Amino acid sequence: MIQIYLCDDEEAVRHQIKTALEWKIFVENYDMEVACAAATARELLDAARDGSRSVYFLDVDLKDGEWDGFQLGRELRRRDPHGTLVYITSYGDLAWKTFRYHLEAFDYIVKVPERTGPSAARCLEAVHARLLDERRDPVEVFSLRTGDETRHVPLADILFFETAPKAHHVFLHTADSRMDFVGSLNELERELGGRFIRVHRAYLAAADKIEAVDWKGNQVRVGGRTCLLSRAGKAELHKRPGGEP
Amino acid sequence: MYTLEDCLIEFTGSLISHAILVVYLFMIMNTRGRQVLKKLPALVFSPLLGTLIEAGLYALIPDRGIVRYCALSCSILLMCTLWVRWAWQTGFWQAFAATCMAGVFQVAVSNLPQLLLLNSELQYAAAMVIYGAVTLTSAALLYRLRFGHWFRLLLEEGSIQRRMALFSFALEAVMEAFFILQLGIQPEYLVPYYLLVVVMAALAVGLVIYLAQRLDAARKVEAQRDIIAQQQLYERDLEDIRREVRAFRHDYKNLLAGLSEQADEGELDQLRATLAELDAGFDRRIGEKIRASAQIGNVRVPQVRSLLLSKLAAMSEKGIDCRLEVLYPVERVGMDVWDFARCLGILLDNAGEAAAETETHWVEVVLLAQGEGLSLRVSNPYAGAIDPDSIWAEGFSTKGEGRGLGLPSYQRILAKCPNAACSTGWAGGVFVQELTVEGRA
Repeated sequence: MIQIYLCDDEEAVRHQIKTALEWKIFVENYDMEVACAAATARELLDAARDGSRSVYFLDVDLKDGEWDGFQLGRELRRRDPHGTLVYITSYGDLAWKTFRYHLEAFDYIVKVPERTGPSAARCLEAVHARLLDERRDPVEVFSLRTGDETRHVPLADILFFETAPKAHHVFLHTADSRMDFVGSLNELERELGGRFIRVHRAYLAAADKIEAVDWKGNQVRVGGRTCLLSRAGKAELHKRPGGEP
Repeated sequence: MYTLEDCLIEFTGSLISHAILVVYLFMIMNTRGRQVLKKLPALVFSPLLGTLIEAGLYALIPDRGIVRYCALSCSILLMCTLWVRWAWQTGFWQAFAATCMAGVFQVAVSNLPQLLLLNSELQYAAAMVIYGAVTLTSAALLYRLRFGHWFRLLLEEGSIQRRMALFSFALEAVMEAFFILQLGIQPEYLVPYYLLVVVMAALAVGLVIYLAQRLDAARKVEAQRDIIAQQQLYERDLEDIRREVRAFRHDYKNLLAGLSEQADEGELDQLRATLAELDAGFDRRIGEKIRASAQIGNVRVPQVRSLLLSKLAAMSEKGIDCRLEVLYPVERVGMDVWDFARCLGILLDNAGEAAAETETHWVEVVLLAQGEGLSLRVSNPYAGAIDPDSIWAEGFSTKGEGRGLGLPSYQRILAKCPNAACSTGWAGGVFVQELTVEGRA
């Protein structure tokens, strides 16, 4: 069963949302329950100690000592990387993009008297639909740390890793992005095992993304991109089943 | 006749000169020490090839010593430049300028052993020890003077890079000339002559530091003028808000009067509609402005704030919809402020240019303070296709010659910051640049 946690310091709002959510769960017969409706961040954190893939409805403007909505979201994200965060705000002027990019928040609802409940219910419907999708095909992810955050990239999206010109930095290439993080190809090669091939000292390519090998020109095409190929890399490729001379 | 023994002597001498040169290069470049040390063995090719070239030239033109000397010096200079370029991964002109500068010092001290050996009581080994000690002390002294820092500052700017390279080359040529002329000096004048050479070298150092400080000061004055201008813009914005609030206060009295009338008559639906209108009106007229000024007010680093204000204002004028989010006060950037400001400027310029070419013009900037560091995210829509193999290449632009030259210099600036990471994405027609600076904890 999916747990729902709610945190808002206004009694009336909390009650409104909780009732709306419970009613929606009952009517639609979702496999969910409102596990906790907390007034303070501490209370919520205590209750959600072992939440995993839970749903959280959080007030943006929590006034609870060091905790505000963003900090609370960050802490919950740390504990429950695949949870769903929904924010409750009094104004439409929330710094929404910040929440979206840095906490991967799912959505937000605006507190308007009498309309808060229905929007919470609508939001829950969307959350439920997404969770169903995810359950159908869970994806394996590669996690990398940049700054204070951890990102998850589906393993199937990664084309290759490349050593960056800067010491100890590595580039991760996908079809539509290049990410820079601190790491080493040797460690990655060990960690990712047989799914990636070290085609060159500076390149670690996804085995299933290699499209063509230019044995003479010392290059490999990986997902439409070009990687260098070394002699050791050629030997690696030969070892693979289907590797041709 | 040029014998094998001559070759060996030539090679040893060249090897020692290279060692001295490397000491000065480290003083000038001052970064990536360990990695460069790993690449040091490759430099042995330079004296090796140098010796071969010398032997070859001797066979060709045995009686033109000066021509041989010049050809040899130039080829060694070139080989060392290529090595510096590879070891420190800099541009060609930067490597050339640094090599020439190191060469100036190397030639200046290389006069010393001859001078010492003139005094025949001194052993060869002792002379070499003094030679080494003088090299290390002078390098340490220059390091204390932060000579490397100032010199590299002069090389950062693309426009004066070549001029600086030429300037260093001229200095190096002068030094070499001094070195050759020494052969014609009578022994009793060698000491004052050498003092002259040292004074020349010191003057060159002073000149470089003076030039760099001038450049730095000019850059700061310009930036400060910018800050003042931007601060005035900011105040004008606040003044606008104040005027709007006054106007709103007037309307709001009327609206309240209307509301109480509706309440008296019990028209609940209309009452609700008027309330909603009031709310929307506030958001439209003042709310958005207050939001924007609160966001910009959270940027507490003056250089960054003024840059953001001016770039965003310029984009708004061009009809680009800008959105800035700064959730928490940004007190520091975790790296050199000027470097960060330059990066931000490049990203905003690129974003503005690209967004202007699309149907929906918008640029979005999200700044988030993270402990001692921060994270910056600039996104914009783009038109056309992106070729991921070439966007980071020098001089590449989707918009033709001479534009979009920013990305390589953006990378060059960040190459100096080990705690900065930059990621790029171009999914779904939106180009995203992220820069994360980790606090130096």
